[in-house]
Amino acid sequence: MTTTTAAPRVLTDHAAPIDPAAYLELLMNITRREVKGRYSQSLFGIGWAIAQPLAMMAVFTLVFARLANILSDVPYPVFAYAGLVPWFFFLNSVSSGTMSLVQYRNIVTKTYFPREIIPLAQVASRLLDLGAAATLVALLMAYYRIGLTRWALLVPALFVLLVAFTVAVTLLTSAVNVFYRDVSPVVQIGLQLWLYVTPIAYPMSKVPPQWRPWIAANPLSGVIEGLRSAVVYGREPDWSLLTISAVLTTIALVGSFTLFKQLDRYFADVI
Amino acid sequence: MSSDAVAIRLDRVTKRYRAGRSRTIVDLVSSVVDRARGREPDVYSAARGRIEAMVFALRDVSFDVSEGSGLGIIGPNGAGKTTLLKLISRVTWPTSGRVQVAGRVVSLIELGAGFHPELTGRENVYLGAGLFGLTRRDVDRRFDDIVRFAEVEPLIDMPMKRYSSGLYARLGFSVAIFSDPDIVLVDEVLAVGDASFRRRALDSLRRLIAEGKTVLFISHDMWNVRRLCDRIVWMDEGRVRASGPAADIAEQYMEQVNLRALANQQNVLQSHRGGTGEVRYTEVEIVDRSGRPTAIVPDGGPLTVRASYEASAPVAGPVFHVTIVDVDTGLAVATATSSRIDVPPVVEGRGVLECVFEPLLLRRRQYVLRMTITDALQLMSYDVINAGPRFAVARGGGSAAVAGSEHGDEDGFVALPFRFEHRARVLSS
Repeated sequence: MTTTTAAPRVLTDHAAPIDPAAYLELLMNITRREVKGRYSQSLFGIGWAIAQPLAMMAVFTLVFARLANILSDVPYPVFAYAGLVPWFFFLNSVSSGTMSLVQYRNIVTKTYFPREIIPLAQVASRLLDLGAAATLVALLMAYYRIGLTRWALLVPALFVLLVAFTVAVTLLTSAVNVFYRDVSPVVQIGLQLWLYVTPIAYPMSKVPPQWRPWIAANPLSGVIEGLRSAVVYGREPDWSLLTISAVLTTIALVGSFTLFKQLDRYFADVI
Repeated sequence: MSSDAVAIRLDRVTKRYRAGRSRTIVDLVSSVVDRARGREPDVYSAARGRIEAMVFALRDVSFDVSEGSGLGIIGPNGAGKTTLLKLISRVTWPTSGRVQVAGRVVSLIELGAGFHPELTGRENVYLGAGLFGLTRRDVDRRFDDIVRFAEVEPLIDMPMKRYSSGLYARLGFSVAIFSDPDIVLVDEVLAVGDASFRRRALDSLRRLIAEGKTVLFISHDMWNVRRLCDRIVWMDEGRVRASGPAADIAEQYMEQVNLRALANQQNVLQSHRGGTGEVRYTEVEIVDRSGRPTAIVPDGGPLTVRASYEASAPVAGPVFHVTIVDVDTGLAVATATSSRIDVPPVVEGRGVLECVFEPLLLRRRQYVLRMTITDALQLMSYDVINAGPRFAVARGGGSAAVAGSEHGDEDGFVALPFRFEHRARVLSS
């Protein structure tokens, strides 16, 4: 065995810093572990990632059949599905992320490593689902003969915003859930309601004006409306809505990460 | 290769845990109320700061560990040993005091804790090493060594759920020690795995120390602790009870363990009782030279076992057996069997029998007496006490000390007299 440490070792009060490459690889490894655990011994595998928004799309299409033409200028299934894909990414990340630290109790109480990697891996593992579900958007658009415009170039930036907000919420709920297990059911109920205050089944433009500020205060509104304009409508997004979303996401992410790092030294004690 | 540099420093470390039920929203609300009233909230105290709900895992613990040394941590369950390792590995943080560490720490609190059963051994090596801060390239370089040490070559591409628990632990240990740590924390994990793996694991830890790494070793096995560590910290109820050179502390500790175990033995004769019952032991005790009951026997002896019996009817030709059994292994070390000369041909009513072992060629360990009474042909048992009184053989001093006892740490149960003879031999070509 060879020693690679050349610098003299000094006593410190803090955990030894982790090599960024090792950090990234650990994140990827835990993500892989998560994905493999989820889809091993499953016949349909990644197909479930598509089935989930697809089923919801079918429900929405049936329920809103009469309203379809009022709600959207494009075929309603495409409209709904394009909103449901980012929504399910958020929903699944947050709901499994909330329990993640508790589920990884065994590692958390026995080895030291940056704890945020565990909820981050939950979000990362859902990126695969997001990718799979997103390919169906392309197929649906081809079927309905909807073309892409240059606004589609915004998609990566919007995904970044989506992931950032998802991470912010997941970090918060996973950390607090370590202390109060009530968080998980509260989150599940909250997510059910959240679906309806996000412009997924309906467009922002059909929201009564007096409610619009409330819906806009939901960072997912900007992201989902933005994605739909950029991809399905192929037009300029509502920049003011997007700006609100970006600002709130940044605040949420910074706040949530700070809180997480404050709390993480107590995780092993209370988990 | 121990140096002056300090690898680990604990300075007045106290660790408090919240005991009792898990927190709920109700606790949260009440702690918010407390905060509003200006009382001090505590992130992990029970609701309303009830002080009795707190458990001190460590109280005011201070010690240094120098680089390149092995430190044994011993003590009864619940003494705070594992909490110490968790603090040093930053799994948890002290309530007060400072924990300082120099270099990269690898903790073996549970072998293979980071493994996932659905992944193959190979994937888990990368995952586990990643938890210790290694990159893929680091692991690539060590991969063959890791697998070879764990002896899992044929199974490395199989999901780990197919592994036996011993194999699981072996791979966990191997990943940890090949992950280039400066400090290794080992918590009683060598209990798993077979003897040959245990030996190789100990060898590898010793090699790490020789290379200038620091090893903290929790074990109940004094034998291994003394072989690996030059110093020992003895923990008791969250405090450092004693610390110093391994041999001294281990000796003190064993004496204490023996005393405590022996103090706890009440009248054990009622349990594990067998036999037909025509004649039974009514009392069995170990007595010292002055006839007082004792549980510590000096090495060299004498060991005097005094047994009272009662026969409900006349019994012809009973044979009394006193067997000395090693507590740790359960092996019978020696048996004394009464002969026709020792016992009257027919016993009836009460009687007392003494059995004296002298010289007592037993190593300093703990033993338990198995007491039986059989018929003359030893076909039928009148009475069987599987777990009779316990005793410990301790340093007796004086001239009665037996071979090897000047070291006091030789292996085995029996101290047979021995001598070495050496002759120089000319090698023929």
